[in-house]
Amino acid sequence: MPTFKLDEREIPFEPGDTVIRAAHRVGVDIPHYCWHPGLSVAANCRMCLVEVMPPPGRPAMMLDILTWDKAKGEYVPQRKPKLQPACQQAAADGMVVKSQTSEHVIKARSAVQELLLLNHPVDCPICDQAGECRLQDYWLQHQAKSKRMRDEPVHKPKGVVFGPNIVYDAERCIVCTRCVRVSEELAQDPVLSVRERGNLNEIVVSPGRQLDHAYTLMTEYVCPVGALTAVDFRFKARVWFLRSARTVCVGCATGCNSFTDYDPRSQKVARYRPRENLAVNKYWMCDDGMLDHARIHENRVLNGRVKGEETTRETAVQKAAELLRGKEGPKVGVVLSAEHSQEDNLAMLWLAREVLKTSLIFVSGRPEGVADNILRHSDKNPNSAGVAELVDVLPLRSFPDFEDAVAKGQLDTVVSLGSALPQPNSTAPSKVKTLIALAAHEGPWVQRAAVVLPASSWAESDGTFVNANGQAQVSEKAISPQGDSRPAWRLVSELGRALGVAPSWRKAQEIEAAVPKTARNSSSPPAPSAGANG
Amino acid sequence: MAKHLIDLVTQKFPGAVIQSHSNHGDDTLVLEAASWHDVAQFLRDDPRCAMQMLVDLTAVDYPDRDPRFEVVVHLHSLTLGHRIRIKTRVGDPDGEVVRVASISDLWGSANWAEREAYDMFGVEFVGHPDLRRILMYPEFVGYPLRKDYPADKIQPLIAYREVENIEKLPPFGKDEGMSFGRQTHSYGQRSNEQESN
Amino acid sequence: MEPLDQELDESEIELPTEPMLLNVGPAHPAMHGTVRCVMELSGESIQKVDVQVGYLHRGFEKMCERGTWTQIFPYVDRTNYVSPMLCNVGFALACEKMLGVTVPERCQWYRMALGELARMSDHLTCDGAMAMELGAFTPFLWMIKGRDMIWDLMEEETGARMTHSFGRVGGMAAPPTAGFKENARAVSEQILKIIEEVERLLLGNRIFLDRLENVGIISQEDALSLGWTGPCLRATGLPYDVRKASPYLKYDEVDFDVPVGSTSDCFDRFMVRIEEMKQSARIIEQCIARMPDSGPVNIDDPRIILPPKDEVYNTIEGTIQHFKIVMEGLKLPAGEVYAYTEGGNGEYGFYLVSDGSGTPWRVRIRPPCFYVTSGLERVITGRMMADVVPCFGSLNMIGGECDR
Repeated sequence: MPTFKLDEREIPFEPGDTVIRAAHRVGVDIPHYCWHPGLSVAANCRMCLVEVMPPPGRPAMMLDILTWDKAKGEYVPQRKPKLQPACQQAAADGMVVKSQTSEHVIKARSAVQELLLLNHPVDCPICDQAGECRLQDYWLQHQAKSKRMRDEPVHKPKGVVFGPNIVYDAERCIVCTRCVRVSEELAQDPVLSVRERGNLNEIVVSPGRQLDHAYTLMTEYVCPVGALTAVDFRFKARVWFLRSARTVCVGCATGCNSFTDYDPRSQKVARYRPRENLAVNKYWMCDDGMLDHARIHENRVLNGRVKGEETTRETAVQKAAELLRGKEGPKVGVVLSAEHSQEDNLAMLWLAREVLKTSLIFVSGRPEGVADNILRHSDKNPNSAGVAELVDVLPLRSFPDFEDAVAKGQLDTVVSLGSALPQPNSTAPSKVKTLIALAAHEGPWVQRAAVVLPASSWAESDGTFVNANGQAQVSEKAISPQGDSRPAWRLVSELGRALGVAPSWRKAQEIEAAVPKTARNSSSPPAPSAGANG
Repeated sequence: MAKHLIDLVTQKFPGAVIQSHSNHGDDTLVLEAASWHDVAQFLRDDPRCAMQMLVDLTAVDYPDRDPRFEVVVHLHSLTLGHRIRIKTRVGDPDGEVVRVASISDLWGSANWAEREAYDMFGVEFVGHPDLRRILMYPEFVGYPLRKDYPADKIQPLIAYREVENIEKLPPFGKDEGMSFGRQTHSYGQRSNEQESN
Repeated sequence: MEPLDQELDESEIELPTEPMLLNVGPAHPAMHGTVRCVMELSGESIQKVDVQVGYLHRGFEKMCERGTWTQIFPYVDRTNYVSPMLCNVGFALACEKMLGVTVPERCQWYRMALGELARMSDHLTCDGAMAMELGAFTPFLWMIKGRDMIWDLMEEETGARMTHSFGRVGGMAAPPTAGFKENARAVSEQILKIIEEVERLLLGNRIFLDRLENVGIISQEDALSLGWTGPCLRATGLPYDVRKASPYLKYDEVDFDVPVGSTSDCFDRFMVRIEEMKQSARIIEQCIARMPDSGPVNIDDPRIILPPKDEVYNTIEGTIQHFKIVMEGLKLPAGEVYAYTEGGNGEYGFYLVSDGSGTPWRVRIRPPCFYVTSGLERVITGRMMADVVPCFGSLNMIGGECDR
């Protein structure tokens, strides 16, 4: 394994790695702004400058500079070694690199930091990036002094609306061009570019266009400062009040890994952030996924309902048990949901087999949507593959089969899980005589149901989701169940108990252990590296 | 500072010292729990150490470690002028079995300090003459300074304590109490009787 | 019990034979606020006593783990609330030991002067209260008058009379006021006069001496074993003072003596404090003489000290500095440290454990009077009920420090 030395530590690297990438892999942080492991190298911020010692027997590349000599009171010529950007410097076997141990590097970092802050507006109190801002962290670590400029800083446009999701502040921008590269390389839509020169540099949207591709929130995510802000998250919460749960996006079958940032005091989810997983989503998430957190709080069913009237969960469970008593057999159907986790579906399957003794098992979910070859999958359900995996013996009937069975009058009683229909205009649920819906959101199932049991959303309990590639991923619980809702598997347990049959699982760990372990290939992503923005 | 102390102990008790450091000028020894009492006694009695005073005894909770708790003792010799910190690690990750030998027979100050460590962390000091809570009331549930004890936890209401052999005086009856003031506040029945007088 | 004027045969009188259980409860004038002594009395003599503390336990150590290092200053103030400046300085020194920094010279003299004033305030309160509990109300008022002068000076300097939270890691919250030196000198002189008057009043008083002399004696070995430090230990004859044994700030550059007792009784503890006040006045005089009139009070390190407000409002660097220190907290390097100073009651130490973030992992306050109060049992067992008053008073148990 070829290695190079960084500050007396041997760092192994793969052929083609740059110094910063090899260091990043082993967890050594070289301060940087414009480099991102998922994007091309721009080398414009110059923060990652390191001193590369010359090969043995060769002189170092020296630059002629002038330094201020305090004793003489004038500038005197001097020579200093040329520093190389670690993000561009290819690693070579036996190379000796100095980062923190070189006084030139320390001075360079302080100088770069000073220049970056030269025209920076005093926006920390109103800037969303505060608390996760590289300028703040690096100032304290590497500069810790005031700037020497006494003039008025350059003023640029603030609050420029780039598109429906993104607002740009040119004064805060350090023109690292991460956003430009994200648009070009990730979203394949080079709509952003840099205009003007020198200290008038700013990012602009191409004339006649808006920043409206499907990955605009990734520009906000990669921005190391508060120049790009998301309309969705602006002024909503201060990041140090937020806790992060490691979750999986439930917007489509790709199953991008995410962080759900929630405020533990108000138990509200503030935003999503992508979580690195090279096997699934690399470093990114699409806009639909990023904005999906709204569904955790909107249109929720938070109370039990009996015939449309709100009631307590206990009453609803009792009423549902009443309706189901004695109804086992051929006219009962159970609808699983590809929107819900393995645990929820496993519980429903148990209900079907052990309590209702039926083999009429259908699956429902959200309708198909837009796909691209970057991250988005056309199947907008996170767990279709998982449900298919669970129902191994019995045939898993699809939604058209359900409509069919209902039309033929084969189903009297149906217990359904989920809130959406693959065919939104279908009237099948209304044709069922007795419908008991376990749902988290308002929708067609809830409207037609005789009894509604309030289920929790994905953010309110641990859940396993199997994505389109067959990778089973666990999503952690973020907030407590809202209102009177409970995870669907717990509702099934209550329902079963009311009908006199208790399941073998009571607690979250027990039902998680019951989920089959097949297809668990992937997905423990590496520990988060230094820096919140990757 | 006084590295010779670390060397003395390491020589005398070869298997007992897990780790040692002198960060910030404080000599520190991490000891095996089994040799806790012996090393402490050596430090008190040996004339080269002469630790007459146990300055402080406390515990620290590291929930990610196994053993979870660290009992930390600071010793001071007034005659020789040196100090040392000795620590030992005890307790399972759930905090259910946390036991270490008591050194209250060596220094009187350990008596109350161990009671406080018991009270706050649940560390049981084997051989302590009177291990009960000192800062919290006896009916308190839990060990407050543990990291898994939430700072805003509410304790259950306790019943009014029944204590034997202490006669409690009943509250003032109508015919007792102040001759002034109280009677001017009329509360229902009392005022009726007042009027009837 | 039968009335004594009746003709009774001795064998007919039944006297109780069990000791009486007396609860000298937490709300009791002699219990200095919040200590409960459950005593077994045989007549007036105390056979056994169970000293129960903890009535003022406020969970400081737990609360320290929820904020930043700077937010601990109000908590330590409220431990020994009669000499809060000594507590502030002690904690600031502990953090600075962990960071490995030293404050500028002006700050060191300032801290010393304020600290000694706080020590005088502590001893004035203790001795005054002790005298009052024995019935001598006038010296109490005189000493409180002296204490009030100190508190007025503190108000001038810090903005608050008692719990001023004035210390900061790396300096003080504000520089000394223009009139500090004059005021401190004046206050110190006044207090010396008050002490002289009190001595004249009390030290010739037969009742006072009879109640204090040879009462509440504890041996030096016992005191050492119990972890006693400060005036109570010095009254046993051992001249251990942290300021002399391990000098901090500029205590090695000032002249002062360490008063020591001989009999280790309540009277010695009372007198050690009186003499210490006189020594404190000496120290204050020297500090005022040597403190520079200009120069920085706070250390010049942006990782520790908040920037001046106009920089915060007008420059990005000032904003960032302020932001990082306030929001994330001052970052002490990961590790542990034990740092101690001479508090009002003895060795006031801090055992700090940091995990490298701005939130403390463990803050252990080593309370000198916790250990001193554990010796109360030893001191009053065997003595009479009335002796509890001077004994307990002479130990100077401050509830805030004992219980935290």
